Amino acid sequence: MSSESKPKKGKSSLAKRRALFSWLIPLANLRITLALLSFSMVLIFVATLEQVEIGIRGAQAKYFESLLGIWHYPEQFWGGEFLNPVPIPIPGGWLLGGLLIINLTAAYVTRFQWTVKKFGIQLIHLGIIMLLVGQLVTQAIQEESRMQINKGESSNYIERFHGVELALTDVTDPSRETVVSIPQELLEKGGSISSGDLPFEVTVKSFGPNCDFDAVSSKDQREGSSKEVDQGVGHSANLSIKPKSEDYSSEAMNFGHLVFELSDETGSLGTWLALAHPAGNHWWKESPKLADLAFQPIRHKGKLWGVTLRAKREYLPYSIELLGIANEFYQGTETPFNFESDIMIKMEGNETRRALVYMNTPLRHDGKTFYQFQMNNAADYTVFQVIRNPSWLVPYLACIIVSIGLLWQFGFHLVRFLRKNSLQKA
Amino acid sequence: MKKHSPIRLGILIALTLLGAWVCFFPNSFGTASLFDFAKDPPVPPADSFDLDGFSRIPVLRGGRVKPIDSVARNTLLVLRNKRTALDADEEKVPALEWFVRVLFAPDQADQLKTFLIDHDQVLGLMGKKLASDGKHFSYAELEPHLAEIESSAREAGQLEQEERDSFQQNVIELYRGLLLYRKLKNTLTPPPVPSESSDMLDEIGVAEVFFDPDKDSDRTAEYKRFRVLTGVIAEQPSLIEMGSSEFAKVVFFLDHYSRANMWSEFFPIPPEANDPLEKWLAVGQSLVGEEPLDSQEKRNMDPRAFISTLRELVALSPDELRKRITAIRETQKMNPTALFASQYAEAIKLRREVDPIIGLYEKLGISYRANDFATFNATVAHLRELATERAGEAGSTLHFEKAYNGFEPFYRSSLAYVLVFIIACCSWLAATYSNSVGKSDSTAKMLRDTAYVLTGIVLLSHTFGLFGRMYIEGRPPVTNLYSSALFIGWGAVLLCFATEKYLRLGVASAMGSFIGAGSLVIAYNLSLDSSLNPTGDTMEMMRAVLDSNFWLATHVVIITIGYSTTFLAGFLGIAYVFYHLKSALFGKSEGKLKKTLESMIFGITCFSLLFSLVGTVLGGIWADQSWGRFWGWDAKENGALLIVIWNALLLHARFSGIAKTRGLAAIAIFGNVVTAWSWFGTNMLGVGLHSYGFMDKAFNYLMAFILSQLAIIALAYFPAFVKMLIKLASKLISSPPPNETRT
Repeated sequence: MSSESKPKKGKSSLAKRRALFSWLIPLANLRITLALLSFSMVLIFVATLEQVEIGIRGAQAKYFESLLGIWHYPEQFWGGEFLNPVPIPIPGGWLLGGLLIINLTAAYVTRFQWTVKKFGIQLIHLGIIMLLVGQLVTQAIQEESRMQINKGESSNYIERFHGVELALTDVTDPSRETVVSIPQELLEKGGSISSGDLPFEVTVKSFGPNCDFDAVSSKDQREGSSKEVDQGVGHSANLSIKPKSEDYSSEAMNFGHLVFELSDETGSLGTWLALAHPAGNHWWKESPKLADLAFQPIRHKGKLWGVTLRAKREYLPYSIELLGIANEFYQGTETPFNFESDIMIKMEGNETRRALVYMNTPLRHDGKTFYQFQMNNAADYTVFQVIRNPSWLVPYLACIIVSIGLLWQFGFHLVRFLRKNSLQKA
Repeated sequence: MKKHSPIRLGILIALTLLGAWVCFFPNSFGTASLFDFAKDPPVPPADSFDLDGFSRIPVLRGGRVKPIDSVARNTLLVLRNKRTALDADEEKVPALEWFVRVLFAPDQADQLKTFLIDHDQVLGLMGKKLASDGKHFSYAELEPHLAEIESSAREAGQLEQEERDSFQQNVIELYRGLLLYRKLKNTLTPPPVPSESSDMLDEIGVAEVFFDPDKDSDRTAEYKRFRVLTGVIAEQPSLIEMGSSEFAKVVFFLDHYSRANMWSEFFPIPPEANDPLEKWLAVGQSLVGEEPLDSQEKRNMDPRAFISTLRELVALSPDELRKRITAIRETQKMNPTALFASQYAEAIKLRREVDPIIGLYEKLGISYRANDFATFNATVAHLRELATERAGEAGSTLHFEKAYNGFEPFYRSSLAYVLVFIIACCSWLAATYSNSVGKSDSTAKMLRDTAYVLTGIVLLSHTFGLFGRMYIEGRPPVTNLYSSALFIGWGAVLLCFATEKYLRLGVASAMGSFIGAGSLVIAYNLSLDSSLNPTGDTMEMMRAVLDSNFWLATHVVIITIGYSTTFLAGFLGIAYVFYHLKSALFGKSEGKLKKTLESMIFGITCFSLLFSLVGTVLGGIWADQSWGRFWGWDAKENGALLIVIWNALLLHARFSGIAKTRGLAAIAIFGNVVTAWSWFGTNMLGVGLHSYGFMDKAFNYLMAFILSQLAIIALAYFPAFVKMLIKLASKLISSPPPNETRT
């Protein structure tokens, strides 16, 4: 009896809600849902194909993190030469995700029956809303960095995979360093930058996220803005740069470049070239001529400054020491079965904690997660991928909610099915 | 089932027994039957070689300890896509007989047709024609063309895999095959020293150390003489200097045996008693250890420092030396001088014996060539016992694996699935016939019951095959693309079996057996794909990130069930389309079957959504654990998401009433396209973190499959389209011409 009275109650509350939010009814239409789902299929398919051309990061930026992406039919496919020039608009992830959330929410209010019997359906859709919102939030705020540590050494900073900064370090006093860093956004804006901590003004002559560079034999052969360089490595190694657009593919090597002039009240001090190495500026040390790109010394009024364009850095309130690494392969194959870093986290106040980081077992510490990313057994260093994603828990919660919803709904069906079967047998 | 008449019951039982015979009993479909798993290995014959015993000797290849039987089958599968070679008279030579000749009588093996070459341009490279020369060749026939093959393969190797044309791909495969064959020949017998250095041999006086077939009983004599040489130096470290003839000889053989390691296709020598890492060894490794760096690095050594370090190391006591070697390999990874000195010191001071396993293999070879059955068989027994004992825990599955190899559970199952499909189709014919003449459909009923019972029997053999793999590997059922095909078929058949229990229509049996047979055929072709499976062993080791039984058992298994249920719904959709066509063709209205099929498609899609959603979400959690993000828009992830969305779309289309039976069937059939894309298509892109199963050959098959599905969807709308045309035409005819209406 009670099971019959409940649905009615649910239905009457539904009628009330429909009356109250009648303007939402058209938005909750299932046909809209079907259309949005179909467009999502197209979006995902096209974006997957595009990964071949522009890489995952490129496809993500162009399709998933946009309102509308323009797609061209691949030239190498059948009929590609005729179809390729036609621009095809593909609704993007922000658009479809947003519309799906609106559609679902409207359905919640104006169509779902808030009853025990349909409770599972509601939970499932709630979980899906959470997954969608969680993904939108994650894409907006997640930060990816890397941390390289040599065996026996410690590191207390992480570097972003993308984005650079100009760092000016006062190293006059060997016991303490003062770093002034100018973020990429300011460099992109251009013009002159000054700060109270800097005795000189930085004027951006040219900046770009990627370039080809080459050592030429004389100053005349240099191209573009590198012609103006008259100080530092750019001058001594006669570097010529050719700006390129940023490569978004996963194996991309983007060399950020900056030509800048320093000046103080007496006038110009000269023009420098700085290049950022995509795998970290310590790699410049591999080639003797360019080694200084990691740290170009500038003497100014009795002080020694070092200047470098480097991956954007974040200093941590703790440091990590690499005690050892293990890189093991199945015998007689090139298939690895273990990458493992043995580390010691040194926190403030001499507190330490030892940890093993290996495949499928990251280290979570202080809101960041450290994953085993790369490793060089011969050179004895390890690289962690470091991710800060405050919303990492959301998908887990969403999964639990969806699972409960599914179990609820299937449990209902199963009970009904068994009851029906036993009735038939009786 | 009790209701059948005696004759029909007899046919049912006979067909069931036929199925059981195909699946489990001794027959020509496999060299072993179910009974062989329980039986002890056979007693060695007195009047022939005990190849069965030989095939059970454990070795390590591809990172896994396995019986020689598996190595023989898998390598021949790579070379010839078959488990047999051919002799000069085109008679089949079983893998094991071929293998024993490759190892012990290479001159005979060179004459056997071992290589499959079916690409006309590769044949043309050697001046051969498919029509006159055939496609099976022996090593002896290919040997004169090695130089051309190698240079073409090297040229092709310069290109990225995606840019190679079919000739380049095929010539690379042939070159790899030749290399594999040569490595097999040299695994137990180190390759001879290149002839151009024979002057040097005389100069340093090593000729008398080498194996001399006239004087020595076997190669261990050479190895023992080498040990005597190193023994002298181990006693007198001062002999280690430039210009010392003793030292020069030792250096020569150290290099010679180290080089031999590169020519070893598998590791025949089980772990030594004191080795904590339980490493298996090649012959060269057992003699002189392993080169710590690439041989090229020897150029970067400092000769003086090398001599002094080595002298110092050899002077240490064995225990101290062991510690020093460990320390050097740990701390001086970039120092070739110290590293090579550590290998030399190990070979000189620590490796004092010749491993008895080497002697036993030598004895096997000599008795084989002498046709001495008694010695061969006694040595096999001795070697097997010793090697199995030293293999320890890893040797526990050898007996099972040997029987499993011969049992061929998936080949047998695929044949039995075909039988089930035929019986189910016959049941429909019988039903149509009895319907049209108005008789009772008891024959159709009997056939449907037979198909149902038989499905159960094949399912047992399919399940046994899956569990056998799990037992040998110690892994969950799905570990690579090959096993995913086995599992998708299995899941679909299991669901069909359960459906058929309640709805005895023959539809689920037919579709289940069709998917079952199809997936096993796909699996067989995947096992032949050398880009997926370079060793020929489908039970390969898993790379680090996949090496997690928990996630393999949850995410991979669940997502694979999602694939299989989506396929099942799609094939039920196809069944409906044909039913729809039949009804339209005979002008009958669609009966109860229509509603039944619709609710089956709906019910199974509910399952698909559940499994694909849960599987995808679990994949997200795994990705968060290992790559640091829940979702990264990776190609394989996107593929899984497509399946989830498509299943959700089907369910919502039904809830909203937008799609009726035909619409649902069409959506379900398109689900086949989506699933095939997610399963194979994403691997063909060659991008993303999941591309562990890259493949390019199957592209055309995938396209053909997609086109066939689209064609079936079009067929679903064909009757309606024709009806519409007729209506339109009749309207045009019946409506009076426009100018007449005016008047």
